[in-house]
Formats: sequence, C-alpha cells, structure tokens
Amino acid sequence: MTNPAHKKHDFIGRSVLSALAFLKDATLSEEYANRKGFLQSLDPRFKTISFLLFLVTVVSLKSIVLISPFYLLCLILALLSGIPLRNFLLRTLFFIPLFSLFIVLPTLFSIVTPGEPVWSFHVVGITGIITRPGLDGAVLFVVRIATSVSLVVLLSVTTRHSELLKVLRVFGIPQLFVLTVSMCYRYLYLFATMVENIFTAVKSRVGVVSHQRQGQNVVAWNIANTWNRTTQMSEEVYMAMISRGYTGEPRLLSKFHATPKDWLWLLCAVVICASLFYRGHTL
Amino acid sequence: MSDTVFELKDVHYSYLGKFPALCGVNMTIRSGEKIAVIGANGTGKSTLLQLLDGLIFPDRGTVTAFGERLLEHSQDNEKAAHRFRQRVGLVFQNADIQLFCPSVREDIAFGPLQFGVAEDEVSRRILEVAEVLDIQHLLDRVPHQLSIGEKRRVAIASVLAIDPDVYLFDEPTAGLDPLTVRHIIDFIVNANQRGKTIITATHDLHIIGEIADTVYVFGRNKSIVRGGSSESVLNDRSLLESNNLIHMHRHHHDGREHVHQHLPLEPHD
Repeated sequence: MTNPAHKKHDFIGRSVLSALAFLKDATLSEEYANRKGFLQSLDPRFKTISFLLFLVTVVSLKSIVLISPFYLLCLILALLSGIPLRNFLLRTLFFIPLFSLFIVLPTLFSIVTPGEPVWSFHVVGITGIITRPGLDGAVLFVVRIATSVSLVVLLSVTTRHSELLKVLRVFGIPQLFVLTVSMCYRYLYLFATMVENIFTAVKSRVGVVSHQRQGQNVVAWNIANTWNRTTQMSEEVYMAMISRGYTGEPRLLSKFHATPKDWLWLLCAVVICASLFYRGHTL
Repeated sequence: MSDTVFELKDVHYSYLGKFPALCGVNMTIRSGEKIAVIGANGTGKSTLLQLLDGLIFPDRGTVTAFGERLLEHSQDNEKAAHRFRQRVGLVFQNADIQLFCPSVREDIAFGPLQFGVAEDEVSRRILEVAEVLDIQHLLDRVPHQLSIGEKRRVAIASVLAIDPDVYLFDEPTAGLDPLTVRHIIDFIVNANQRGKTIITATHDLHIIGEIADTVYVFGRNKSIVRGGSSESVLNDRSLLESNNLIHMHRHHHDGREHVHQHLPLEPHD
C-alpha cells in the first residue's frame, strides 16, 4: 500500500521535475526553428517587423470578420513552415483563449454590458441576462487573443532564440541588455539540469523521503545550493568574458542577410495590414 | 630577456585572504615553449593559469608578462588590457563557463569583436577556425545542446579566433573520449609548431610527452616541487608517486596477484 507521506514527497519531486521539463521543452526546444520551411527561411528582422505589424493591426481591428483572415493566415503559415496543425491548434486555440474567456465572462451580462438580451437564466433566485453587445464583445476579445497568441507562437517557434535576441538590437535595445538576456537564456538550461540532477541524487541516496518536513528541507537545501553555484559560476563566466577582451561595453555579432524574398514578404505584410486597417476604419 | 613571455617571482596567492592556493612560485616561460604544469587536484594549477591570464593578481611577488609587470590597475586601461588579451588566451576547464553566448557562432565571434575586428573579418575567422577544429556543423547550434567533447572544441575555437601568441589550457583532455583527446593534442602540437607558446595544466600524464617539453610539478605545498624536461620528470617515479600522480595498481594475471605502478603508456608483464 502507498504511504500518503510518500505521495506528498512525490508531489514535490514530481512538481519540480515536471516544471523543469516544461521549461526545457517550452523555452529551449528549437525543434521547429531548425526545420526547413517558409517562415524559417525569412530574415528574422523582416519576420519580426511583419509579425509586429500583424499584431498591431489585429489589436486595432474591431471586427471579427476582419480579424479572421489573420487567423487563417496563421494556419497557412504554420502549414508552410512544417508545424503540425494539431500541435499548433492545441497550443493556441485551447488554453489561452479559454483563460481569456474566464476573464471576459462578467462582460457577457447585462449588469456590466447593457443591451439587447440574448438569453436569460435563473440561479438561486438571481436572474442572469446575457446581452448581444456583451456576447459580441466577448467573442471579439477571445478571437483577438487567439489570433495574437497564434502570431506570437508562430514567430517564436520558427525563429531561433539567439536570432530573436539579435533582432532586439535592430530595434535599438542596448547591447548590454541583449547580452544579459541571452546569457540568462543560455544558463537557464544548465541550471535546470543542475536542479534536476540534485533531485535525482537526493532520491538515489535517501529514496523517497518519508516526512513532509524532510521534503521541504530538501527543496530549501536545493534552492540554497543552486544559489551558491549560480553565484560562483557567474564570477567564473565574468572572468571568461574578461579573458576574451570584454571591458564593460560588449560588441556582438549583428549581421543579417536580407534577400528579395524578405522584402517581398514585408511588402505583402504591409499591403495586407493597410488594406484591412483601412477596411476596418471605413466600415 | 627579450623572448621571455612570463616571469614569476615568489608569487603567493590565497582565496579570500585565508585559503592559500600558490605559495612562492618562481617560473620563467619563454616564447615558443611547450610547458605542462602537473599536480594532484587542489595544488594550484588552475590558479596559476588565471594569474598568467591576468584574471587574478598575486598577494605577494610579481608576475611579468612580455616584459611588463602585470598589475590589476593596468587592466583598467582598455588599450593595455586588449593588447595583453590579444596575446594570451585561456581555455577554461569547464567549457560551460567559456561558452556564454546563445550560439556557437556568437561565442567564437565574441573575442575578436571585443578587440574591434570588423564583422567581415570575424565571419572569415569563424569559418577558418571551424574548419581547423571540424565544427562547421555546430556553428548555429546552442552550446547547451553540445556534447562535452564538442563544447571543448568550441571553447578552443573561441580562443583560436583571437589568434593569441600564448595558449593556456586548463585540463584540456579531462573527461573526453580518446578521439577528441587525439584532436586536441594534435591541435596543441600544431599550434606550437606555428610558434605559439603553450602552457597546459593537467594531471593526465599520458599526454605530457606530446604536449610539453618542460614540465613543472606542483606539490601539496602549493609550489613547484620540481621542474625539468618531460622525460626526466616522467621517469622520476618516486616524485610522481609522492605527488599523487601515479599509484600502485593491484590486479590478477593468470591466477596470481600482480602489483605495479600505474604509469603513462608503459607496457608491463
């Protein structure tokens, strides 16, 4: 029979390990970015600018009919870039819009958004009335969120993180800031692995911790140990930077190669955004 | 002397002022030499390399590099610091420390870019060093995705791109497979043949014969207990045994117990 205390300890261990696995998978996997596809072939600068344009247009449009083409565009681009539609839809259409639906739920009702009633119901003596303006507003909000999330996911999964960071410099972000962020990103994986190894080592030596208190101690010790090693490593990394000529003002590689295809893509993006933006403001 | 690269006189160094790491080290290293610094763990080999690379400075004694005294405040001057760092390159023992950029390409480019080398020239150097170390296929990879051997080669490439006169290697072959060890030894030997000064800290006696003409043995007293030709040092078994560099090995041959010293590359009965 399983000891309930074991379950509690397993809960801590499994939570930490699952969080680390998610972190590694979600932020550090570049599976799709390394594939050959349409979006992967674009210059990261042009791709980022075009997606920013799309995002601004989606956020500024107030019609579901006009936002929908952007969602359709996302699906086409995902297909052209070798991203399995099932994964893409799961990631973009299920969780985040679902959460946004919870946020927008109160605006459905007449108490927040007055207007023509669509449906009413009675629960424990309280009458709830869903109004048409409330429903329209909620649907628009969810569609807008789903489309924006799809655009961001498409950009991030089809671009190597190092290139995305490099693009920040094109927008005038200081090199020191970009270097710091890129180093955080670089060492995130290392420390995630370190924490994972510590947990495995603890488990191999003491097995399943039988007391909740012991489990808490293991986590606290793990945090302290990781902090110490992080501090030590940051000093050594700084030494490695100095050794290669760093004097406080980093200089980083920033070379990109734009092709006619990139310019054509940007032109298409501008035309799509301008026409839908114009249509949205003349409706 | 004009061809002296480093001169250490009575160098003492301690961590936090209370944990001695080097105690009275004297050493002269000349241009084009192949030097190995050997010793058991914790005898100060890595500390010595960091001193030679101007990353830490002695509590007592002097370190002279290329005829100029190596002082902490002289490294505050960007021009002087760059002049020195373009001539001396350190390959750290832990490649994860050396590879701090988000991609291999950027790691190799980091050094030359800090020295103001133009991006076109940097791109040319990246391809050149990648070819030398056979890492062309790794250029766009993220460092954390590489194997230990690949990381070590990229770490060497990041220093080779600077093309320094002096290479400092801290345990370059630790934990590597035999083929990668071979590549690194070949790289060191070739670099020396091109006139580069090589200083390697290691306790891997198997590679000493190839990577060093002169060997300094560091003892538990954190100073040099003996220096000499690699042949003479490797033949001094009592010295190696007393400094934890070889051990008595016990095993069975044809049903009888057999005890002998574990020596580098030496056949036995």
